[in-house]
Amino acid sequence: MSQRGGFLKSTRRKERSGYWFVLPYVMFFLLFVAYPLVFSFVLIFHRWNIITPMEWIGLKNLSHLLSDPQFFRAMRNTFVFLFIHIPLEIVVALGFALLLNSKISFRGVFRALYFLPVVVSGVVVTILWQNLYSYDNGVLNTLFTRIGFPRIPWLIDSVFAMPSIAIMATWKNVGIYIVLFLVGLQNIPRDLYEAADLDGATGTKQFFHVTLPMLNPTIVLIVALSTIGGFSLFIEPYVLTGGGPMQSTMSGMLYIYNQAFYFGHMGYAATLGFVFAVIMLLVVVLQRKTIEAEAT
Amino acid sequence: MRFLPFESSRTFPLLLCVVTSFVFLDCKRQRASGDSETGKVVHLTYWPAPNPQEILLADSVVTMWNRMHPDIQVRMQPIPVSQSTEEVLLAAIAGKTTPDVCSNIWPGAMREYTQAEGLVGLDTFSDFDSIAGLRVPRDLLATFKAVNGHYYQMPWKTNPVMMFYNRGMLKAAGVETVPRTYSEYFAAAKKVTRDINNDGQVDVWMGERDIRPIWWQRLFDVYPFYIAASNGKTLFMGDDVAFENRDAENVFSFFQECYARGYFPRTFFQGGDPFLMGKKATDFAGPNRISVITRLAPELHYGVAPLPVPDDHRGPVYTSGDYKNIAIFSTTLHPKEAWEFVKFLVEAEHDLLLLQIANQIPVRGDLLTNRLFAAYFSQNPSMVKFAEQTVYTRGMDTVPDLKEIFDAISQDYEACAVYGRKSPAEAVRDAAARSRSIIEWNQ
Amino acid sequence: MIKSMMKMFFLFAGAVVFAYPFLWMIAGSLKPELEITNLWLWTSNASFHNFRQVLTKIPIGRAFVNSMFVSLSTTMSVVVFGSMVGYALARLNFHGKKILYTLILFTMMIPFQITMIPQYILMVKLGITDSYLSLIIPTMMSAFSIIVFRQFFLSLPQALIDAARIDGCSEVRILFKLIYPLSRSTIITVALLTFMATWNDVLWPLMVIRERSLMTMPQLVTIFVIGGEAEAQLGPQLAATTLLVARASSHPGVRVFPKILHRQHGFKRHKRITE
Repeated sequence: MSQRGGFLKSTRRKERSGYWFVLPYVMFFLLFVAYPLVFSFVLIFHRWNIITPMEWIGLKNLSHLLSDPQFFRAMRNTFVFLFIHIPLEIVVALGFALLLNSKISFRGVFRALYFLPVVVSGVVVTILWQNLYSYDNGVLNTLFTRIGFPRIPWLIDSVFAMPSIAIMATWKNVGIYIVLFLVGLQNIPRDLYEAADLDGATGTKQFFHVTLPMLNPTIVLIVALSTIGGFSLFIEPYVLTGGGPMQSTMSGMLYIYNQAFYFGHMGYAATLGFVFAVIMLLVVVLQRKTIEAEAT
Repeated sequence: MRFLPFESSRTFPLLLCVVTSFVFLDCKRQRASGDSETGKVVHLTYWPAPNPQEILLADSVVTMWNRMHPDIQVRMQPIPVSQSTEEVLLAAIAGKTTPDVCSNIWPGAMREYTQAEGLVGLDTFSDFDSIAGLRVPRDLLATFKAVNGHYYQMPWKTNPVMMFYNRGMLKAAGVETVPRTYSEYFAAAKKVTRDINNDGQVDVWMGERDIRPIWWQRLFDVYPFYIAASNGKTLFMGDDVAFENRDAENVFSFFQECYARGYFPRTFFQGGDPFLMGKKATDFAGPNRISVITRLAPELHYGVAPLPVPDDHRGPVYTSGDYKNIAIFSTTLHPKEAWEFVKFLVEAEHDLLLLQIANQIPVRGDLLTNRLFAAYFSQNPSMVKFAEQTVYTRGMDTVPDLKEIFDAISQDYEACAVYGRKSPAEAVRDAAARSRSIIEWNQ
Repeated sequence: MIKSMMKMFFLFAGAVVFAYPFLWMIAGSLKPELEITNLWLWTSNASFHNFRQVLTKIPIGRAFVNSMFVSLSTTMSVVVFGSMVGYALARLNFHGKKILYTLILFTMMIPFQITMIPQYILMVKLGITDSYLSLIIPTMMSAFSIIVFRQFFLSLPQALIDAARIDGCSEVRILFKLIYPLSRSTIITVALLTFMATWNDVLWPLMVIRERSLMTMPQLVTIFVIGGEAEAQLGPQLAATTLLVARASSHPGVRVFPKILHRQHGFKRHKRITE
């Protein structure tokens, strides 16, 4: 009896402390998640530059967006970035992960070296690559002219600029994806390879029939993470190109930042943010569906 | 692995307290500096531009003021460094953290400031008219009037954009006279731009501009060149786009030629200012450039001339001024005292300091006639050129969203001039159309 | 034999690709201006001139303290509140638990693009732009950390917690005294991820901080490099970025983090969640 009473007391206590435990987060959620979401939604229908009163303009922001060539340009640029960045990253990361996933010396040293750019802030990477990419006296072009190659207009040609930024982003992030692939590789049960050996499947065949399908969840994760990263591309074009040449590196985030903080169009910037977010979620869902469909 | 400081539940709240008190203390400190009304001493905050010369100038003027006015103490605080002053000021207006006085007000952003009622009308002070009228010629003063007919800014200084040229480079290339027109400029450029060390790559150029499409870069190329080509017209007539014309096309095609013929490099320069390093022969800039040259490249032998103009140009050569003015923010608790300080800033002796320390031109009509300045100008002959140019200098239009319009012009300028993807006529037409739609959209 | 030689060759080439730019940068920061663009790392004219210039021009020491303070406060707060909510979701019963969990999962899917501007406006309205608060408060708690902690706490044996309860321990005591020592790896994972993200963020500080003495280190360096203060000289720019990296590579993350990601089950768990 007394035991039962104690139990009840303890459940009640548990319940009460449950509320106390989550209370700070609920407050945080209301202030920094719910309120901004609602506010952002309200902003879509307003014109506002922060300092003068808000003005209701109905769906004008949305209709302006549909006729705004810069919005479509930013959209296109994001897709160009993803189209180069994702495959490149998967190939490079998987390659290094396979190399590292065997008995070799200095494994930890290599892993740490590849990981270095991940930990370093994006600003550093961007400033560094600005100097690597410089047309006249950059490290890369100096190297190229040494070995008899022509100079490449990395950041000063509208065709090359976005791919250059995508290469840089790959260099920066590949470390984390190498580790993710390593985790994935080590989760593949040994006996699958043994069974494949019995069936007489060789290295390449094993890779395509055992390794790759088993890595599918990792690939889904990596594609989703880098898509989200691609949609948030900001500091790289902000420092390197200012969105040029010919708007070829104007990313969605940079365009939103310009609209909001240079031109003071908070309502329109919020609209852009919403639309970009919706498109991003659609893309992620779509990618996942495709990759999973291909795997089965 | 003891690396998280809150292993026990007791230390954590303690730490949290320390952290929060640190945070709040910081806030309080900031606020206290704004308006401590203890005693009879009035405190004012003054924001000058954040470049070293103007900080030095502000420092000496403020020190003088504080010595003379023990009851009105001014604290000098350079504008927080950011991409541009306007962002900072708008954020400050929004956050109500503006200073009492700021001397880096860009007339192009006035419309936004006054709309937000962020500034004190200076003509509410009875002696504004006499002070401003004495200093600034009437017709020039009128260009700083707000759309509602009031004055919110005290015209202070200007940096007329002119052409700096490297005498040694022009001479070495066999250019005898300083180019005055587009064709003379091209003719000189043809001789100047070449490969000096014979490695197959051009290494000196006639000129160079940052090729990134950054809106304010246009204040040093397209805008002054357009004013020069159009004999002193600005981009707008009232609130209407007025640059869709032959003059603008001339300017765009001038820069297109410069890039197409390779007189301007299509690249970023890493490491060093190309004019100071003798890599480009001409540079378009205001007199504040002089202090940079004397500090970083004292041996550079330069000259100053008006901007190049179309071949059929007649009359004086106009340019744009990059005016920076003084304003009092409406957050001030002591408008009267602030106004006294503004008057102090624009006294003739301090204008002389502005010339001496910062190499910038005070906006006043008597520059070349007032005896006070005579010694300075006789010692600095290139500053005379700028002083003479101020008569033919235009400011900014007072339309809203000027930055966005300059951004639009930048985009079309980039496509046309730097990359040659549009004809000048197309680029001007597109830029005008974009500007109109920006204005219409913001209506 | 040849195969493993090939492997080593590729790995070594990779190491060069990842490390050379950093070495070049460090070398460049010590070289005189004209030698920087040289590919070779060695110079006989090495000096700390560039560093001296950076240190006199920008308050980078202060910025380091700012960054440290902001990142540490955020990290601590994320760990403490994340574990509290995670514990409540995993081990306590209360009304609305399911709804809260769903909301938290939903929060993880909201991109920054949407909330960025309203959050900035909120900072303006609260009057805390240009203060540490504006850097810390919006990132004080994270849905991601809650989920990671919840997953980990679910894997702990219930008997352990019951025993403590019967002993009359309060839930707070159970969490901080009993469970914390068992969750070192999860705490470290969350702490490192949070610290890294906060330290490296530039966009948000650019928006809310204008006062130079409050700027974070990456923000200050960005402004130093793209604003005019470096006067287009490369040496000081590289010196400033080197100072920024010097901190990062001494970061336990470089050594510990890949290992943890690799080995600890904590990560595998949250990986499953994000899928």
